[in-house]
Amino acid sequence: MNLQHRWAEANPWLGTGPIPVEPYISPAYYEKEKEKIFKRVWLCVAREAEVPQPGDYKVKRIAAGDTSAIIVRGKDGKVRAFHNMCSHRGNTVVTETGEETYGASRAGVMTCRFHGWVYGADGALKQVPQEGRFFACFDKADNGLAPIHCDIWQGFVFINLAAQPEESLMSFLGGYADHVAGYDFSALTYHYHYHTMLNCNWKVAHDAFAEAYHVDTIHAGSFPNTFSSGIQNVKLMGPHRTCAVCLTLGANPTPIGTLAAEKARGSLTLRAAESRLPPTINPDRRSDFAFELSVLFPNTLVHVSDGIWFTHQFWPVAHNQTLWEGRYYVQTPQTHSARWALEQAIILQRNAWLEDTATMEDTHRAMQSGAKQVQFLQDDEILIRHGAAVVDQYVQA
Amino acid sequence: MSEIILPPGFEALAVHAEWALDTPDERHRARLASTPARLEAFYNGILPWLEKILEELDRFPLGALPESHHALFNLAFAVIEVAPHVELYRSSPGVPFAFEELRFVAAHGGQPTWAGRPPAEMRR
Repeated sequence: MNLQHRWAEANPWLGTGPIPVEPYISPAYYEKEKEKIFKRVWLCVAREAEVPQPGDYKVKRIAAGDTSAIIVRGKDGKVRAFHNMCSHRGNTVVTETGEETYGASRAGVMTCRFHGWVYGADGALKQVPQEGRFFACFDKADNGLAPIHCDIWQGFVFINLAAQPEESLMSFLGGYADHVAGYDFSALTYHYHYHTMLNCNWKVAHDAFAEAYHVDTIHAGSFPNTFSSGIQNVKLMGPHRTCAVCLTLGANPTPIGTLAAEKARGSLTLRAAESRLPPTINPDRRSDFAFELSVLFPNTLVHVSDGIWFTHQFWPVAHNQTLWEGRYYVQTPQTHSARWALEQAIILQRNAWLEDTATMEDTHRAMQSGAKQVQFLQDDEILIRHGAAVVDQYVQA
Repeated sequence: MSEIILPPGFEALAVHAEWALDTPDERHRARLASTPARLEAFYNGILPWLEKILEELDRFPLGALPESHHALFNLAFAVIEVAPHVELYRSSPGVPFAFEELRFVAAHGGQPTWAGRPPAEMRR
């Protein structure tokens, strides 16, 4: 085996050639991605814990699916999803205040503010003012909210916008579910949430986070004592993919970082005292393991480490615009000093994300120049190569 | 300079009153609007006190910090916002080679941190 090219040798079907730029900048290609990916595959839209009580809801805009989804917990405790559209004349039932809107109804109802039509948390149309003045063609019983297929895995809420999904959520997750199922995501609920609208294609954003080759350069500012020792344990599982990111730590922690490390585990650059990771994650128990970087197709990155897990999500808004969301989950602090230590970790993490996102709009703008038609990937950029291949398979199908 | 309330023994930190800010967004904007000299003065002024400050704050349960300690808490959290700039970025007020910082939204940015609420509350 040629160690320099080990991932390519293990996955010969992916080839080693250059990757075309066109799919990143073409509006026509994006239209196909909407139809063949975002309107057809399972999309991770929430944590179940975001709607803990009956009547709690979250509305999430899915621009790439041309809709907004209401995720709501019914009086029976079941989480369901519906299109946010009134059966009357199409107004949004829940008034949206942005990309994500949260709310709660103790009565378990949602009322359209246009004419006061009332829907239950199970989607049924319960009340229509002046109902008698409508005509025989209209029956309240047939005009609940339009349902969206919804299922839950490990506390993650997924929707599928297809009228009839081609496969179940578990079938779609396939080997990915087996790979990370042993990790207790629900044990960590305390989290930080950042978001921004990026003027770039969603795959530009995905790619920038899907390799560790950039650590030594892009993060020379925020993590100067941290060097990538490459990725390990690459596993491609249907449309999904994963690897272990390994980092070598230098010997010069900052004064603030040293103090924070004594108070709580918040930073990925700290070694965990002992590993409680499932045997599928860092199977060789490498000492330089920092976190598992997995891509849940199409647009969710799930990273796991000891006592920390975090996600990046890339929601296409247009061919050249992407909503990025980062959520970073840690152990709930019990003291002010532990809370302080977590703040130290998240501020440095935010700065690293600012370094990551810095390249994205520049990359997209340069791609649009048409000056180069391809990009070249090295072996450790295998997740990007796999991502491009999978997206194209779906688009060409 | 605005006046702040500090617990006994910490009165000397009153010179850093401008950094006693309640929310992540306020601390972020203050750091961006600062100067290398002011960042260094604040960082160097707080660092020797930090262990003692955290010890003092830990006398109270999370979420039950009396008003007398809000400013002390705020100073300890502001130094986190400032520290990378002094320790790693040659005292530059902005993160070097970064995305436009104010376009990056923290969901918890407007929350007074001393209140001890989870930064992203599951139910809003």
